[in-house]
Amino acid sequence: MAVNYVHPSGVNGDVTVEANELTKQFGSDYAVQGLTFNIPRGKIIGFIGPSGCGKTTTVRLMTGIYRPSAGYVNVFGRPPDQFSSQVRERVGYMPQLFVLYQDLSVWENMNFVASLYGMSLFRRGKRMRELLQFVELDNDRYKLARNVSGGMQRRLSLAATLLHDPELIFLDEPTAGIDPILRRKFWDQFQELKASGRTLFVTTQYVNEAAYCDYVGVMAEGRLLMLETPENLRRRAFNGEVVDLVTEQPLNWNDINQLQQLPFVQGRAITSSGNSVRLIVDEASTAIPAIINWVNERQLQVKSVEEYLPPFDDVFVTIVEKARADIENGSDAVTQEVRNG
Amino acid sequence: MGKFLVRASAFLRKEIIEVLRQPRLILALVFGPFLILLLFGLGYTNQARAVRTLFVVTEQESPLAVQINENAGTISPQLIYEGMTADLEGARRMLRNNQIDMIVIVPENAYQTIKENQQAAFEIYHNEIDPAQVAYIQSLGQVYVQEVNRRVLSDVAQEGQSDAATIQTEVSQARRNAAAMKAALQAKNVEEARVQQQGMRTNISSLALAVGASAGLLSGVEQNVGGPGEANGASGVGSLLDRVQSNPSNSGELAEKEDYSAEIADLDQQEQDLAELETQLAEFRSISPSVLTQPFTSQVYGISEFEFTPMTFFTPGVIVLLLQHITVTVAALSIVRERRTGMMELFRVSPVASGQIMIGKYISYLIFGAFIAVVLALLLYYGLNVPMFGSWYNFALVIFLVLFASLGIGFFISLSAGTESQAVQFAMIALLLSVFFSGFILDLRYLAGPVRVVSWLLPSTYGTILLQNIMLRGSALNLTLIGGLAAIGVVMFLISWIMMRRKMAND
Repeated sequence: MAVNYVHPSGVNGDVTVEANELTKQFGSDYAVQGLTFNIPRGKIIGFIGPSGCGKTTTVRLMTGIYRPSAGYVNVFGRPPDQFSSQVRERVGYMPQLFVLYQDLSVWENMNFVASLYGMSLFRRGKRMRELLQFVELDNDRYKLARNVSGGMQRRLSLAATLLHDPELIFLDEPTAGIDPILRRKFWDQFQELKASGRTLFVTTQYVNEAAYCDYVGVMAEGRLLMLETPENLRRRAFNGEVVDLVTEQPLNWNDINQLQQLPFVQGRAITSSGNSVRLIVDEASTAIPAIINWVNERQLQVKSVEEYLPPFDDVFVTIVEKARADIENGSDAVTQEVRNG
Repeated sequence: MGKFLVRASAFLRKEIIEVLRQPRLILALVFGPFLILLLFGLGYTNQARAVRTLFVVTEQESPLAVQINENAGTISPQLIYEGMTADLEGARRMLRNNQIDMIVIVPENAYQTIKENQQAAFEIYHNEIDPAQVAYIQSLGQVYVQEVNRRVLSDVAQEGQSDAATIQTEVSQARRNAAAMKAALQAKNVEEARVQQQGMRTNISSLALAVGASAGLLSGVEQNVGGPGEANGASGVGSLLDRVQSNPSNSGELAEKEDYSAEIADLDQQEQDLAELETQLAEFRSISPSVLTQPFTSQVYGISEFEFTPMTFFTPGVIVLLLQHITVTVAALSIVRERRTGMMELFRVSPVASGQIMIGKYISYLIFGAFIAVVLALLLYYGLNVPMFGSWYNFALVIFLVLFASLGIGFFISLSAGTESQAVQFAMIALLLSVFFSGFILDLRYLAGPVRVVSWLLPSTYGTILLQNIMLRGSALNLTLIGGLAAIGVVMFLISWIMMRRKMAND
């Protein structure tokens, strides 16, 4: 089986989580397989992938809920199953589902979690109020958890996770079921946490949320296909950057063929109409002036030429489809794509 | 230490809040058993059931049939005489249709059977399926047959007493003969003495023949009870008769001589013995035939002055069984629910330790159980006047240990069960085991030795016996039972703790 060695650039210095060949097997099924990555301190790492791809299993391995079948993972320099209670106090975990007590009120649930983390009975009140205000549950604090909506339960879970001010925060699909405005607010809060030196590991099915992350891991079928910055993710999905060219006059077959022959153009050009063409180039900033020159030399007029940023949905789909194709073709192709940092 | 307490308190507070959120549950747990016991106390009559009985007699004109017809209704208040029939099949049909409860088939040719040295059997049929009711019918059948036998014996005794009237006349005559013979000897009138001696012999011979059943009955009583004849070996009816018969004045030939002082002494003794015999026969006649045939009866007294009712007897068992079931069930549901909802994942990531979880939960459920126990005990004590002859401190200690041991069983179930419904099923099995094997309904002495091992694994067994002794007998604590109950609690706590540690470890 090919090994995916993915490694974001510049993360070797201050590592919070180090996973090597991390594998979890249930019976004969692999939930995750051969994951190798580091999580740098003070960054937001997002893991994106379809349901059942192994995101939650990866979180559970890092939090010590699961023990690896093969490979290892170290968090703060030690395996999670050897955590002392002091190390556990540095970790926050928000499970995928709402697990707090339905028969307790919002406030009582917060109080319960505060006690779990040994927070002083006299000092926790202010912190609880602040967090409930942040997740906009302050006015609902006396409602039973069973009587609030699913979205409110997610917000309560997030507030409870942040209650003891952890250094390393694992958030398993924190924005699932939350309206877009609050979702954006969540990500703003994540950025603030990052700015204060916290490290966040976030899983999500909302591919567009990759844009908020410092590094994005793409998972499929238990494997980590890629771990990159969002920009590099786009570039690697399409083997370069995308430029859209629109001319005043229609481009003929010969024009397009010559465009494809330019040295900075990768692969075939895609035409959507007679005077519009999409090109994959090495670097958009240097390619655009060269394209303009090429158009002018042919006595044509440029109507517009600009870099196109494909949505992450497309990036994700492209990466996953390529990975599947590579696996079907012998699987080494995936490894070949991976760059060491 | 501070954080340890804060973490354990998380569970203490959470469990108590969750319980308080269910006031109807608390009311049901407290007032439910109280009302059940109240209803039981008011409604349970504790009176033996009356059995509708039909007699099957082939010869309805026979003396036995006539006697049954006259007496069956008065034999026992529990036997309702439904009449007599010769149709056995019809009687069976009535039994199957629940029109009667018992058939008594009167033996045919009873007299002939007895003459052939065999017992004549009354056959009894019933349609009961409850072993306790079968035993009751058997007992009632025995009571009936004993009553028939007693009445036969009573008739015999009555006849014996009639005979005793005749005997008494002969004893008086013999006494007079003895007195006259003595007077004749003192006057040295040998001829007259011989005449009186002959009269005395005749009367004593008749006496020996006639005393028969009367003397037999009285002797039987004497031999079993230790009457005067048995006590001093001299004055029982049988002994007296023997002595009277063997007295030399009654047997020897009277010769002519100068000195009759020896014969006069014998006659003095004979007179005394005959007087004693006469007295005893008079006493015998004065005894009722029913006393003679049933000389003994029983009177039962408990050493406690309190009159125990079934409700008071069952109260300690109900308290223990209820507390055991509540604590087993809440504990059984507690951890399995947290495992199902995923809360356990949060515990495993958090710094909370298995011991802190267990201690927090134990304390919260102990407080909950103790609250129910206190309210229930006060209601029963003041509301139903259930007695407390022992110490309330001992009562509290037993309750604490029952709760502690039951919680261990509950947490063991919670950590073993995969789902909440499984946990409830296991809790119900624990309840069922307790109902059958804790002595709550069936006395432990009815259980075979190896099966009793199951009983001694249940906290309710120890709790029921201890509370019965404390509340109803006022006994001091039985340290062996207290030790056994505490040992179950400690062992189950350790097992649960170890299982919790494993659950908290990695998968």
